[in-house]
Amino acid sequence: MTAAGTEAEAPPVAPRGRRTAVLLVVAVVAVAAVLYGWTQRSGRPAAEGPEAGFARDMSVHHAQAVQMSFTVRDRTQDKAVRLLAYDIINTQQAQIGMMTAWLDGWDLPKTDPAGPMRWMGHGGHGAGTGTGAGAGAGASVPADGAMPGMATPAQLAGLEKASGRPAETLFLRLMIAHHRGGVAMAEAVLGRTGNAQVKRLARTMVEGQRAEIDLMERMLTERGSPAV
Amino acid sequence: MSTNARSRMPENGPGKPGARKNTPGKGASGKNSPGKNTPAKNASGKNASGKAGARKPAPRKNALTERQTPWGTITFFAVIGLVAAVAIGFAFMQTRSSADAGKIAGLVSKDEPGREHVTTSVKYDATPPMGGNHDPVWQNCGVYGSALRNENAVHSLEHGAVWITYRPDLPKDQVVKLSAKVGATAYTLLSPYPGLDAPIVLSAWGKQVKVQDAGDKRVDEFLRAFVRGPQTPEPGAPCTGGKATA
Repeated sequence: MTAAGTEAEAPPVAPRGRRTAVLLVVAVVAVAAVLYGWTQRSGRPAAEGPEAGFARDMSVHHAQAVQMSFTVRDRTQDKAVRLLAYDIINTQQAQIGMMTAWLDGWDLPKTDPAGPMRWMGHGGHGAGTGTGAGAGAGASVPADGAMPGMATPAQLAGLEKASGRPAETLFLRLMIAHHRGGVAMAEAVLGRTGNAQVKRLARTMVEGQRAEIDLMERMLTERGSPAV
Repeated sequence: MSTNARSRMPENGPGKPGARKNTPGKGASGKNSPGKNTPAKNASGKNASGKAGARKPAPRKNALTERQTPWGTITFFAVIGLVAAVAIGFAFMQTRSSADAGKIAGLVSKDEPGREHVTTSVKYDATPPMGGNHDPVWQNCGVYGSALRNENAVHSLEHGAVWITYRPDLPKDQVVKLSAKVGATAYTLLSPYPGLDAPIVLSAWGKQVKVQDAGDKRVDEFLRAFVRGPQTPEPGAPCTGGKATA
């Protein structure tokens, strides 16, 4: 009887209570959604997002620059070229360490078996993608998904065989192309992320590698080789 | 009878901790067992009697208080529940998207204490080896058409590489598929390996999984989890600049 009474009396009160409850639930969901979006954006990048893609791909890109620089130091005694190579080795290897530490901190994989450059080529579906297309995407993502500016295995083998002046000029030409690709990738991530840590390193890459491209152009000319 | 039910609670409640839950049954057969009380208890339903009866005896009293369905309480707990659900869901998604090795079916993990550099040949207790003493020169990452020397490849595992090995009779299209994968993925090696007990075996330092087909999703899962993964004894070490031929 009592229970029947409770049930019977409930409906008249319900609309007011229910409205409050629904409003509260909506509020909670909205807050949760905003928090989730915010975390995704600035706190912990997604596995498929531009920050992680950049960290992975730029690590591979940098590793080849380090490799070529070691090679040229073995192939020439020219002080200027050896010093430039020394600089590239240390700078880019340290930056690989920084990007690896990001991925460790984000608890994200160091590789994407689905292939490189997906964050750049396909624009991604993460937050903040809108402005990215103009910045660097035009700067050539090769159709096969390879990273821009990478030397081919044949070019690397050629560098290992060359020595003296030819090794220097080949290295400079390869590294100019490599840096141009690196600048394009760094610009691409600048247009796609709001992550301050990523932006800061990407900016230094754009500026540093642009300056080195100018330097290498001058070094090519000094060695009687046309600038590229 | 409402009064009866109400006054009964304080007696039973503090006296017997267990009594509160069993109010309907106990009440019916206990000291306060007037016949007319039992039907009321039962009528109030199995669910209602436990909660409403124990927590809020008051609403039963009259129409005025009965009207107050505890929307505040309901909303409060609904909100708490929702927040908890969102938090748990969020945490779950976080772990899911991470480099999660826990879900790879058939994954073998093994302690590999040996990390000495030796120029002699090493007897490994796994095929292919997944760690142990090794040659001072690591094998460069990449695709190889013939078998590699264990001692060099194990050194690459120490540097965070994943070594994909396949039985020499693996169909050509599968070898092509694996070659494309390894070609596009830094810190991976691919080579045939005679005598494997599975068509394809993926090895990282102290980690191994065997699959039948190159399209098995565990191939990608293993690469995500272990290429330069947390098992790497020497993080940051290169997979270039070592031995370049099989």
